[in-house]
Amino acid sequence: MLPRWLKVTARLLGSMLVTLLGLLALTFFIGRMLPVDPVVSIIGEQADQSTYNMVYHQLGLDKPLPVQFFVYVRAMLTGDFGNALFTGHRVADDLSRVFPATIELATFAIAIGVGAGVPLGMLAAVFRGSAIDHVARIIGLLGYSSPTFWLGLMGLIIFYAMLGLVGGPGQLDVSYIDIVQPHTGFILVDSLLEGETDVFWNALSHIILPASILGYGSMAYISRMTRSFMLEQLSQEYVTAARVKGLSRWKVIWRHAFRNILVQLVTIVALAYAFLLEGAVLTETVFAWPGFGHYLTSGLLAGDMNAVLACVLIIGTIFIALNLLADVLYRLLDPRTR
Amino acid sequence: MAILIRAGAACVALLFAGAAQAATPKDALVIAWNLDALITFDPAQIAEVNGNDIVRNVCDPLVGYDPNDTAKIAPRTAESWSVSPDGLTITFTLKPNLQFPSGKKATAQDLAWSMHRVLQLGFGNSANLTQWGFTKDKAAEQIRAADDRTLVVTMDRPYPPNLILSAAFASNVTFILDQEEGTRNAKITEGKSDYGNAFFKTNPVCVGPYHVTRWNSNDVVILERNDVYYGTKAALRRVIIRHVPESGAERLLLEKGDIDVARLLNTDDLRALAGNPDIHIEQSLMHGYTYLDFNTSDPILGNPKVRLAFRYLIDYAGLGRSILEYQGKPRASLVPEGAFGALNEADGLPFKLDIDKAKQLLTEAGYPNGFEKKFILSANNISPNLAQHIASNASKVGVKLDLEQMADANLFTRARSRDFEVMLIGWGAGYPDADSMISRHAVNPDNRAEAKLAQYPSWRSAWQDQWINDMADKARMERDPEKRIAMYHEIQTYMMQNGPMAYIFQTVRPIAVRKEVKNFIIRPFDVVYGSATK
Repeated sequence: MLPRWLKVTARLLGSMLVTLLGLLALTFFIGRMLPVDPVVSIIGEQADQSTYNMVYHQLGLDKPLPVQFFVYVRAMLTGDFGNALFTGHRVADDLSRVFPATIELATFAIAIGVGAGVPLGMLAAVFRGSAIDHVARIIGLLGYSSPTFWLGLMGLIIFYAMLGLVGGPGQLDVSYIDIVQPHTGFILVDSLLEGETDVFWNALSHIILPASILGYGSMAYISRMTRSFMLEQLSQEYVTAARVKGLSRWKVIWRHAFRNILVQLVTIVALAYAFLLEGAVLTETVFAWPGFGHYLTSGLLAGDMNAVLACVLIIGTIFIALNLLADVLYRLLDPRTR
Repeated sequence: MAILIRAGAACVALLFAGAAQAATPKDALVIAWNLDALITFDPAQIAEVNGNDIVRNVCDPLVGYDPNDTAKIAPRTAESWSVSPDGLTITFTLKPNLQFPSGKKATAQDLAWSMHRVLQLGFGNSANLTQWGFTKDKAAEQIRAADDRTLVVTMDRPYPPNLILSAAFASNVTFILDQEEGTRNAKITEGKSDYGNAFFKTNPVCVGPYHVTRWNSNDVVILERNDVYYGTKAALRRVIIRHVPESGAERLLLEKGDIDVARLLNTDDLRALAGNPDIHIEQSLMHGYTYLDFNTSDPILGNPKVRLAFRYLIDYAGLGRSILEYQGKPRASLVPEGAFGALNEADGLPFKLDIDKAKQLLTEAGYPNGFEKKFILSANNISPNLAQHIASNASKVGVKLDLEQMADANLFTRARSRDFEVMLIGWGAGYPDADSMISRHAVNPDNRAEAKLAQYPSWRSAWQDQWINDMADKARMERDPEKRIAMYHEIQTYMMQNGPMAYIFQTVRPIAVRKEVKNFIIRPFDVVYGSATK
């Protein structure tokens, strides 16, 4: 008889593998049906048919689709994601560069989103109908409805061009490029590891604006959700009972109501974070940020399935991992789920 | 708490101090561009604008175009050349002091190997050799090194020297790559060598004013000066090309002085910069076109009068003043201005917007009430505006064009498979001679669908004209320049009335440069980084 934890883990891993494989198969077959020909992006559109045929063969596109998929998955299992056709580099190398860039950006953004969104949502709920609530609603609405592209450009014009408070597009000023050798791929971390504090501050000045723009969008979402979760709790009888017992208003809010929304909050923060990892394309474009979203979009437009599949695999894994993390946190935060 | 506040204040101060450091380094040229399409630096494979632009500052061809007149030839790595009396053999003598950046001598053997590999690899660029009779099977005898400094090439026909020099020997296929590095780093797959293709992709070791030291795809390319360059050494030590894919962001970087050169500005941003005293805008008339392409296998579009009617639906003058500002110069002839054999400006644009004339031509063709066609185009740049303009004028004569925008890769796939009715697309000529466009856009050796001559836009349009095929070949072999020019003029006039494409404009390349940067030279076929000073 297998121990319970082993069974649970095996079931979990099994469902993860099936999900990822299904995701890959779906992406692969849909991708191959797109009317975009990856061969042309390699040979150039002026090339002749014999060159076309040669590269078509080299890419294995002349094999039946299921065989192509099998070959891809087999190579992938050995850690070989192939070459990205639209960058000319190995997909693994590309990802080791673009993924940390996006993680840095998204982590900063989510910190801003949670740091500002949760208190704002709580205040809006506690002071429902007051000026604070209205202000929070307007901030939220603006965050929802302002196009990221526009916000990004406005942010650059005001804080970079006019006020000179932050760095411009890109991860670093040109004077700082090539100083720090990549260890982790995270510029902020690598610069500190090498003791290059100038590079660190410069990188920080570059990340602060795109992270704030992205974080603003998350903040809008998180604050609205926090507000509605809190309102639901504040209308519960246990809150009234706690107040009647003589507990102060803020004690009730923090100790009782807020604790009870944590589970829901963790879920939406996890989802918001996952969305930031793959959905920051426009911000990455405006800020010339060599990130994951831009990479995935370029791959899609070029019909580059090697790049797209690797990205899908990563996104799928992230979503599954975040769901798992949320599950674990549920159990930690809510004794009823244990 | 006070400690925390002080620490916070220090952070903010340091942050702003970091941000305040603008201005580019004195010894570096910083260029912003969209590097999305860059996939390789291997000269045998490069097929897009960015890679070509950069690699022409890293590798020199045998000969180049005269800076003052692109139709004339000037020496580059070749010191001199001579043509045999029968016109079949050209002997090049290389300059004596050619070296790779490592200091190793570059020889005619390296050059012969580099040209052989272009043929063996067979990418699109090999057409620069194959269309002149060079083949991979005969490469060793057709292109050979007689000694360290002598390269002998033998052709299948006696082409006019200026044409073959311009078309083949001024192109990327005559870059001298390091044979030893290429051989040592070659990858063998299924018994076939890649001739260092994977290695040269990121390390094009060749003879030129700069060499590539870093390329992070979709991020940055860094070039360092080649201090053992045989010619005038580059003035600036480094060239940093940053990937900035958005025009507005590029403009802000340029205005702030964080970049020296902006290469992806749209018309609105260029207009805004035009009045800025710190910036000047350089424009170069390229040898590329944007044109309407008609699939002549369609019974309606197969009628020359229908295609001619479309030419009268284009408001060339109006477009030139509006959408095409900083983007292009209206021109209807297929040979670009500046190329050998091109019609002059007036003769190259005999059309103007004339709805009545278009209506009359359609009536003569048998379509007085117009027709309906699908019209595919790129979703990028000015294509959507241009297509709207044409569709709007077409609707005035009853022609309904159903617009469908798509990604470039999709558009090219549709073009190459003849899967379109009307299409808006672009093309760049390979060399400044009328032959470049005529040999692809007018000549069609085999119009059968199964021939799959997708490299010929004429084939994509399912259009073939035996008179043009013969005339173009005669012009190609004509050694008297005056007679060649006359033939090309005749072909251009004929094509404007009967051809399968309606050319709209010749591409203009606008580049905004900060005033501190001097001598940044922009030419139709190359942008010279090495001459720039600050």
